[in-house]
Amino acid sequence: MIRVENLVKRHGALEILKGISVDVKKGDVHSIIGPSGGGKSTFLRCVNGLEEFQGGAVQVGELVLRPGMNARKDARLLQNVRRQEGFVFQQFNLFPHLTVLGNVIEAPVHVLKMKREEAVAKARVLLGRVGLGMKEDAYPRNLSGGQQQRVAIARALVMEPEAILFDEPTSALDPVMAGEILSLMTDLAEDGQTMIVVTHSMGFARNAASQVHVFAGGYDVEYGPPEEVFGDPKHETTRAFLKQTAKD
Amino acid sequence: MKIVFRIFVGMVTVLGLAWGDGLAEVRRSGRLLYGGDQEGGGPYVYPSEKDPSQVTGFEIDLARRIGEYLKVEPVFTQGQWDRMPEMLRTGKIQAILNGYEFTADRAEAMDSTIPYYVYALQLMARKGDPRVAVWEDLKKATGGVKKKIGVLTGSAAEAYSRRFCGEACEVIAYDGTTDSMREVETGKLDATLQDTPVASFYAPRFPGLRKVGVPVARGYYVIYVKKGEAGLLQALNEAIVLMSRNGELERIYRKYDIWNEEQGELAEIVENSRFYGYSKAFEAKLSGAAMPREEEVKLERRKRGWAVVREYGGILLQSAGMTVILSVLSFPLAIGVGMLVALGRLYGRAWLRVPLTWYVEFLRGTPVMLQLYFIFFFLPEVGINIPAFWTGVLGLAVNYSAYESEIYRAGLQAIPKGQMEAALALGMSRGMALRRIVVPQAFRIVIPPVVNDFIALFKDTSVCSVVTIVELTKRFSVLSMSTQATAELMGLTALLYLLMSYPLSVAAQKIETKLGLEAAA
Repeated sequence: MIRVENLVKRHGALEILKGISVDVKKGDVHSIIGPSGGGKSTFLRCVNGLEEFQGGAVQVGELVLRPGMNARKDARLLQNVRRQEGFVFQQFNLFPHLTVLGNVIEAPVHVLKMKREEAVAKARVLLGRVGLGMKEDAYPRNLSGGQQQRVAIARALVMEPEAILFDEPTSALDPVMAGEILSLMTDLAEDGQTMIVVTHSMGFARNAASQVHVFAGGYDVEYGPPEEVFGDPKHETTRAFLKQTAKD
Repeated sequence: MKIVFRIFVGMVTVLGLAWGDGLAEVRRSGRLLYGGDQEGGGPYVYPSEKDPSQVTGFEIDLARRIGEYLKVEPVFTQGQWDRMPEMLRTGKIQAILNGYEFTADRAEAMDSTIPYYVYALQLMARKGDPRVAVWEDLKKATGGVKKKIGVLTGSAAEAYSRRFCGEACEVIAYDGTTDSMREVETGKLDATLQDTPVASFYAPRFPGLRKVGVPVARGYYVIYVKKGEAGLLQALNEAIVLMSRNGELERIYRKYDIWNEEQGELAEIVENSRFYGYSKAFEAKLSGAAMPREEEVKLERRKRGWAVVREYGGILLQSAGMTVILSVLSFPLAIGVGMLVALGRLYGRAWLRVPLTWYVEFLRGTPVMLQLYFIFFFLPEVGINIPAFWTGVLGLAVNYSAYESEIYRAGLQAIPKGQMEAALALGMSRGMALRRIVVPQAFRIVIPPVVNDFIALFKDTSVCSVVTIVELTKRFSVLSMSTQATAELMGLTALLYLLMSYPLSVAAQKIETKLGLEAAA
């Protein structure tokens, strides 16, 4: 479904991703963990085409992103890639001038040209599923952080993407709200939704992921099923990182 | 609606047309567009006391008779007095008929008819002020203070008095003819030098003034046409000759009480054909209907107080309509263009960003008046002829678009980057993301400064008078010059501006408060 080969990303002389390869199959839940500055978020943004990269390739279904892509020239390709990949941001990025319902139906109506009534019906189902059925007329500024993130997830789900990329979705939330979001994501994972999740939550990585990657210094230093990575870490960096997170 | 219609009619008359052969064009269109400035006041061209939306004056009467002989309809075209030569050159008018003196310089640039009036300069001082009894008194300082003489800017009177005084007295130039007469009456000036028609016509309005000595420095008012318009020039000359011979010039001038013995020279010029460039006009063979008998025009006493408001409130209100129309047509254009410029500068490619940056810098860095001149007087030279009204709309729109674009640029930059990313991540194109997500949010931020600019634009419409548009401020100047009721008209004009802009201020405040509350919630 999503195949990343030898991805290299540089900022001038600074190499942020030093050749990363990841293969995500349909129904997989890949969790990316690791110390800050390891390139986790950058990787996710490259997979979505929000950042250009300098080496390797990202294949999404039949579509391939390559180095030297141009936001204008390859706009159509990027758009098609993004329609297959939902994205959930750390800072939610809801549209403040639209209501909760407006946020969710915006893309179906204007990107997919879905009929408004149809989009509204779909949105209501999803809002009910994320527990915000009563809030459809509220504006984002009147919601808590956790509620906003749930709307953001509904906004991604309504497009029925092949996969959803989560970029530290709980880092801006207090533990209670973070817990709500993580359990919602766990539900999605159990329903077979393909996901790549950059997270600091070891619990989610351990319990919900099918594959765990440890990013450090621009490398995917260790990956495998969670029981292997958490139970029997091979790499020194992984051991140090897990020890550190256990203390927190 | 009536106001709109009247303005539309006015617009059509101001409409400039390009043409080839002058006389043929005049005959073909059946109209002779002649230029003048009502602000110059009586007795030349000034708002009628019966209906201030109409112009009257001896030059209007003169033009009417000329039209009768040329079998065309004379159409008065308002313009700024010192801009008449440009209007002639760019084809916005076909003749200048507005107290334009004959000078060698002007005769170089334009073709001149024979004179239709012989003027001179009349010195006037305050009644009961013994310090100015003869011309030479001007050079005598009283208690170390030089005498002050008021004149019209750029007039022959200014040149003459500067030559006469040298260092011995002080010459102060005014934009209006009657300003300095009022200043003498109130004692701020010691004397004023005026063209004889002004001096006699406005004598009843300034009972505190008296004439000093005899008129000096005789000169000629002539009609100017475009260089090389021999046919039109000949026709105008023939009309003047005819009216000199059949006594119609005298009748018109007597009507305004400006006939005097100097006009005898007109007959001499006509019969002896002694005038620059004048040759065969005295074989005049034009014919026309007899001139209707009209009663003498006597200026009424200066009106005061409520009478002024009653009399001129209507016409001022109508001109305020012009101000409103200019504003509401130009501002949406400015908003639209400004938004495109801002988007282009922020999201466009380099080849687009650079010229747009210059667009903004250039328009912000040069006066709007200059830009209007450019559109009105330069573009016709390269074949683009835009009527006065649309010049005003376009000029204001273009100028304000630069300011609006800067406001939007700030507004757009205030929207967090995550908004664009979220929109892109949902599969939107950049264009759709801007249109649906970024711009609507920026729009909310910029409402207060944009409303502020709209109010500023309202007042800036007054600059449109430089391209012959008569809006509220110009109307005020014209009326104040011809009625001398400056204080009342000023109050009324200010009140009208306030009535137009205050509701906008209130609306802006409401929006601001609302947005403020939303942000706080």
